[in-house]
Amino acid sequence: MVNMTDSDHDTSFDELLLNYPREQRFTLAILQDIQNKYNYLPKESLNVVAKYLEVPISRLFSMATFYKALSLKKKGQNIIKVCDGTACHIRSSATLIGEVKKVLGIKPGDITEDGVFSLETVSCLGACALSPVMVVNENYYGSVNAMKIREILSTYGGNTNDGE
Amino acid sequence: MMENNLDTARKILVCCGTGCLANKSMDIVKNLKAKIAGLGVDISVEPVVKATGCNGFCEKGPIVKILPDDISYYRVKPSDSDEIINKTIIEHELIERLLYYDARTGKRVKSQMENPFYNQQMKIALRNIGEIDPLEVNDYIERNGYSALRKALIMKPEVILAEVEKSGLRGRGGAGFPTGRKWKQCDNINNFPKYVICNGDEGDPGAFMDRSILEGDPHSIIEGMLICGYAIKASQGFVYIRNEYSLAVKTMLEAINHAEEKGFLGNDILGSGFDFTIQVVRGGGAFVCGESTALIASIEGRVGEPRAKYIRSVEKGLWGQPTVLNNVETWANIPVIVDKGGDWFSSIGTVKSKGTKVFSLVGKVKNTGLVEVPMGATLRELIFDIGEGILGNKKFKAVQTGGPSGGCIPSELLDLQVDFDSLESVDSMMGSGGMIVMDERTCMVDTARYYLNFLAEESCGKCVPCREGIKRMLEILTDICDGNGQEGDIDLLLDICSMVSEASLCGLGKSAPNPVLSTIKYFSDEYEEHISNKRCSAGVCKDLTNFFINAEDCVGCGLCKKNCAPEAIVGTPKETHTIDSSKCIKCGNCIDICKFNAVKVL
Amino acid sequence: MKIIIDGQECQAKYGEFIFEVAKRNNIKIPSLCHDEALPGQACCRICIVEVIGNKWSKVVTSCVYPITKEIEVLTNSEKIMNMRKMIIMLLDARTSESDPIKKLVKEYEVLPITRFISGDKEKCILCNLCVSACDILGTSAISTVNRGIMKKVATPYDEAAVSCIGCGACANVCPTGAIEVSEEDGKRIIWNKEFELIKCGRCGENLATREQMDYLDQKLDVKLKEYSDDFLCDDCKRRTRAEQLKGHNPYRCSII
Repeated sequence: MVNMTDSDHDTSFDELLLNYPREQRFTLAILQDIQNKYNYLPKESLNVVAKYLEVPISRLFSMATFYKALSLKKKGQNIIKVCDGTACHIRSSATLIGEVKKVLGIKPGDITEDGVFSLETVSCLGACALSPVMVVNENYYGSVNAMKIREILSTYGGNTNDGE
Repeated sequence: MMENNLDTARKILVCCGTGCLANKSMDIVKNLKAKIAGLGVDISVEPVVKATGCNGFCEKGPIVKILPDDISYYRVKPSDSDEIINKTIIEHELIERLLYYDARTGKRVKSQMENPFYNQQMKIALRNIGEIDPLEVNDYIERNGYSALRKALIMKPEVILAEVEKSGLRGRGGAGFPTGRKWKQCDNINNFPKYVICNGDEGDPGAFMDRSILEGDPHSIIEGMLICGYAIKASQGFVYIRNEYSLAVKTMLEAINHAEEKGFLGNDILGSGFDFTIQVVRGGGAFVCGESTALIASIEGRVGEPRAKYIRSVEKGLWGQPTVLNNVETWANIPVIVDKGGDWFSSIGTVKSKGTKVFSLVGKVKNTGLVEVPMGATLRELIFDIGEGILGNKKFKAVQTGGPSGGCIPSELLDLQVDFDSLESVDSMMGSGGMIVMDERTCMVDTARYYLNFLAEESCGKCVPCREGIKRMLEILTDICDGNGQEGDIDLLLDICSMVSEASLCGLGKSAPNPVLSTIKYFSDEYEEHISNKRCSAGVCKDLTNFFINAEDCVGCGLCKKNCAPEAIVGTPKETHTIDSSKCIKCGNCIDICKFNAVKVL
Repeated sequence: MKIIIDGQECQAKYGEFIFEVAKRNNIKIPSLCHDEALPGQACCRICIVEVIGNKWSKVVTSCVYPITKEIEVLTNSEKIMNMRKMIIMLLDARTSESDPIKKLVKEYEVLPITRFISGDKEKCILCNLCVSACDILGTSAISTVNRGIMKKVATPYDEAAVSCIGCGACANVCPTGAIEVSEEDGKRIIWNKEFELIKCGRCGENLATREQMDYLDQKLDVKLKEYSDDFLCDDCKRRTRAEQLKGHNPYRCSII
């Protein structure tokens, strides 16, 4: 059981933590659950997990910055992933990334000011027959070109006028 | 006239792999079911395989197959569902426009086996994909599933190990280490507990065969791992699946549940006294975790940093215990080997590479998808027969095999018989089986730069050769692609390569130079052109490219102008069009789209 | 068992690392990330040697390669020297102003290279010794952050780490002096954290940080304040001890 007597203890993560035994090998799984729920790893969550698993915070921080599935900064409400796998790359994924940059004003790793979109590149989604591929949240879009991007993004709302 | 034959219930298999799902195949399923319910006829509609590859022919998806009629329909739309039921199911008539069109014969073909994409394949690892619902364990059992396990549980472990060794199966993840030998080495260590791991961290961009098997036939992996566990006396297995494959994670978890319910996993399996459980571990988004020691570190709850392999994982692996770690495709082969025997398996393939291999044929090829052929098939057969050649009217330039660890193979070597050793002999490697076809619009220098950029981000960063070597190689290649290449750059690249390939700590680092080495070897003229002439003949490196329209070839159709996003092309119908280079963003749409090859690189 | 290093016969125990055997036989192999107290980093790769067997040869890091059969080892063959020089060159490009690296550049006659953009006064070579030291002490205040070419050593969020006790073990073990420790006005600053330094009760010399003393107190069963109500430096401990002994023997004179 997580230490309930600690008055500084943040209980918002308990539900997730208690799904797992207090063993180091569940570190990544726990962090991913937190990431999936909160869209990033809040600082407080690292403290709580460190106590629960009895691992140093520096190790968790190391893992949070090593694994791309984890992020210390919030991601957008809608996460755009443009595939830059080889098959997509040779079918001009770089142009797609440039186009999203034009439309939303953000580059890979960034989030729009209104927090509606964030952009990432992924190395391969395994949907190579549809290249170039773009995923927004869990929705796959195949054979995307510069023209289609505006159309796709506008279905998710937010500000899709030309960014800087 | 509706045949009321109760012996052969008709099935409609709809591919729900990611590719087809993206093209609304789930709606096809819904519509078909609704139509059937409305009609009150007795047919079962089964959504098949949630595999990207499903039948592997994702380029032509969504694919609908009707059994036992053995009819395959391609590029099906949800609106076609009514017609499929009315015409094919009820009236037994074919819908011609949905059949596959064989360009070589000019005819449409009805069944999968008449389709040249399939009839040259030999499916062992992919034997069930597209034919079963992966969430229905009885489908798997109906197709001989778990019969190998039953057989194995009454065999002596030494005999099982001997069969696997006799088969000649080599690891399908990349290194090609003999599987039987690995299992034997682990069995020889007298230290328990032992562990069995499935490496599902398929990270090579362009490769999705493991995903297809994880999503489409998860029980084949479970059965393979069970057989190994029994043979080496391990009682715990782990399936490590990369983070990006959420559907595969879900499918595998469900399959494990079903296997437990049926008594194939758990305690005293099928009354044999053998216990085995499998846990799914989800990756965190790191290509390096495909390296076995990094994967093990990841399962242990640490960052995925490899360790020196002077002491192998079969001796000291997961938590310091003897561990057998194999790739998804390797596991999928095991039940068939135990079932049909090692001799049968080794009768397929070449002298040193037995069995079949699944390749993901992607890139500038007409038929994109998963292809399983016996080892020894030639590149030409794969790309031009099964793949039906290059997209559009472009020419073949190279095929990249082995992912970021592999190399690019030029047209002179198209008759190479593909196996582990032959690919190494031409400075490439098998890797996981990715086969990326490139045409004249692919710049080989940019390709090398692309792979190094990938590796620079994916390297764990622990050792100097890989971290610093890749960084500087990337710096040089970026300079070359930006028009800042210097005299002596190629020699410097080669020097760095030769150090990195031997002094790096793990396989990622050691194979990182391969894309650079192979492109320099076979395409040195492109490097020279970039450095000395500041020109990219493929029209990819934007700073070294200027497009123009050749008046002699241009017919003034206006297709390029219509598809030019910055509106940089001007021209009137039937007159030669021109490109305004001040507006041109060098996206290359025009040169890719022109049917007359009129757009050229200056 | 017997192995041959650079033509010299050496005795080795099964499982011993080549580096240890070489050292024992006065054969020098360079290294940066090797430390006897924190062995096994194997990441600088400068200690590479060639191992020659029957019809095979391979390049291995001598610091972690276990001897399991009679082999021949070459520590400075042409192949190894070329690789070693390349590694040093890359480290020089990374650090640009590091004395230990410059020393290696000179020793191995590595040609200067101007082609690359140099590290901006970077001293860290990511040998991981500091992280290992901190882990072994049980404080784990620092760790490696990011991966690939962005990898670096840092405290979480680059902020003062709660578990850092300011002991300076990390700076001590660093082969390139990359960790900044400053001491001024009775304070020590390291890894963005300020510590109060405890002085010797007798001579006033800086001893350690308060956190360090507390940590030792907490973790070990030692009497930190022996002989006195204050913390004492080693010299003053000796003096105090001697005085106390002298105090017990009032009949003897001229005892030092």
